[in-house]
Amino acid sequence: MHLLRYTLDEAAMSLWRGRRSSLLSTATIAIALFVTGAFLVVTSNLERLAQEWSGAAEMSVYLADQVTGTDRASIERTLRAAPVVLDVQFVSKEQALGRFRQTFPDLAGTLGSLDENPLPASLEVRLQSSADAQQGIDALVSSVRTMSGVSDVRYDKEWLDRLLRGLRVLRVVGFSLAGALILAAALTIGNVVRLALNARHDEIEIMHLVGAPTTYVRGPFVMEGALHGGLGALVALVALAATYALLRTPFLVPLASALNLSTVRFLPAPVALSLLAGGLGVGALAGVIASRRA
Amino acid sequence: MIEAYHLSKVYSRGVYALRDLTLKIEKGEFLFLTGPSGAGKSTLLRLLLCAETPSEGQLKVGGRVLTDLSTSEMQAYRRTVGFVFQDFRLIPRFTVFQNVAFVMRVLGVDVPTQQRKTYQVLKWVGLQHRMNAYPEELSGGEQQRVAIARALVNDPHLILADEPTGNLDPDLALDIMNLFRDINARGTTVLVATHDREMIRRVGRKALTLEHGRLAGGA
Repeated sequence: MHLLRYTLDEAAMSLWRGRRSSLLSTATIAIALFVTGAFLVVTSNLERLAQEWSGAAEMSVYLADQVTGTDRASIERTLRAAPVVLDVQFVSKEQALGRFRQTFPDLAGTLGSLDENPLPASLEVRLQSSADAQQGIDALVSSVRTMSGVSDVRYDKEWLDRLLRGLRVLRVVGFSLAGALILAAALTIGNVVRLALNARHDEIEIMHLVGAPTTYVRGPFVMEGALHGGLGALVALVALAATYALLRTPFLVPLASALNLSTVRFLPAPVALSLLAGGLGVGALAGVIASRRA
Repeated sequence: MIEAYHLSKVYSRGVYALRDLTLKIEKGEFLFLTGPSGAGKSTLLRLLLCAETPSEGQLKVGGRVLTDLSTSEMQAYRRTVGFVFQDFRLIPRFTVFQNVAFVMRVLGVDVPTQQRKTYQVLKWVGLQHRMNAYPEELSGGEQQRVAIARALVNDPHLILADEPTGNLDPDLALDIMNLFRDINARGTTVLVATHDREMIRRVGRKALTLEHGRLAGGA
C-alpha cells in the first residue's frame, strides 16, 4: 500500500513537472489507440455485416424493362423449382423506387427529376444458407443469368466474399498501422520516462546507497509510463466516442441501412476496457524498459 | 566489524586504486583514513558501500563477505550503513526535512515514524529550526549537518564519510568532526576519509594512512 502510494505520488509529480513532454507522449499513445479503436469499430461492424449477410443469403434477379409475362413466369418457375430456394418475391419498378426514396431521402429529388423510373423490377430470392446448398446455388445463379428477360443477377455470396476479402485486407493494413503507431508511442513514452530518470539521477543514487528496494527505485518510472499510456488511452476512447456520436446519425445509420445492417455499434465495453488496459500496459512496459538501468 | 584481506581494486589500463590491502577495524571504532589524493581512500569507502566490487581479495563487514551478497541482501546491508560525502548530495527540490525523511520514505517506513525520527535527528544536529529551508538557503556547514542527519536517521551500525569537511572552513569542520565523535560515542563505527592531517591531530583519533593503494601505517 505504501509502495503504491509512493509510486503514484512520485509518478504524478514527475508527470506534472515534465508536463510538456508528457503531453507529447500522451498525445502519441492517444493517436495510436484512436486509430486502433477506429479500426476495431469498423472491422467489428463489417464482421457483423458479413454474419448478417451469410445468415440471410439472398439472390436478386433483375428483370429487363421489356421482359414479357411469359419470360417472367418462366424465370419464377425455374427459381421456385430449385430445392435451394426458400422463397421468391417480386419487387416492381415502383416498389424499388419507393424503397430507394425511403433509404436515401436526400437523393430522392434527383430521381424525381428524371422522366422515367431508372430502377429495374426484380425477383428477390431467399436461399438456404447451409454449406451444402452452395453448389446448387452456384448452378442456379449460372442458369438464371442466361435466361431471357434477365438483365443481371446479384448474389449476396459474391458480395460476401468480396466483403470478407476486403475485411482481411483492412485488418492487415489497419492493425499494421496501429502496431507501428503503438510502437512509436511506446518509444516516445520510453524517452520521456528516460528524461525523468535523468533528471532524478541524484535521487536514484541516494536511493541505491540507502538500500531502497528495487521496486521503490524503479516503481515510480514504471508507474509514470503506465499513467502516460492510461491517460492516452482514456483520451483516445473519449475522442473515439465523440467522433462516433457525431457521425452516427448523419452518416453511419443511413450507411448501415443501405447495407442491410441492422445497427451500427460502438466498441463493446470489454474491447474498450482492453484498449484502456492496453494503453496502461504499453506505457508500463515502456517504463520498465526505460528504467531498467535505474 | 570490517575485515579486508589482500584487497585490490584495479581500474582500466591496470591502474591500482588499492593493492593487496589487509586491515581490520573493530566495532565501535572511530578511525580516520588518510593519505594523499589517489591513495585509495575513496575507493575503500566505495567498496564498503558496495558501489564497486573488489578486483581481488575479500572484504567482510559484520562477518559477511560483501561480494557474496545477493541484490536484496546488499540492499539490506546498505540500510545499516550511513554515508556522508564532501559535496553533501542533498536533493535541491526537497526541504531539509524532506531530504532526511526521504531515506525512510523509500524504505517504506510509515509517515508518523518518518516525521518523529526526522525531527529527532534534525534536533540532534541542531537544525530543527531550518527544517523547512531548501538546501540552497543553507550554509555549507548546515548542508553537511543535513547530510549527517540523513546518514543517521536509519540508525546505522557504520558511518562512512568521504572528505566530509573538504568544503568547509576549519571551525565548521571541527563542529562536523565533533558530531562524528558524538555519533561514535553512541556506539556507531565511524570511518572518515580525509587528507587533512591537522584535523586528525585536533580530533585526536586513530588514523590509517594509505599511499598508492597500500597501507603505509598508523598515524
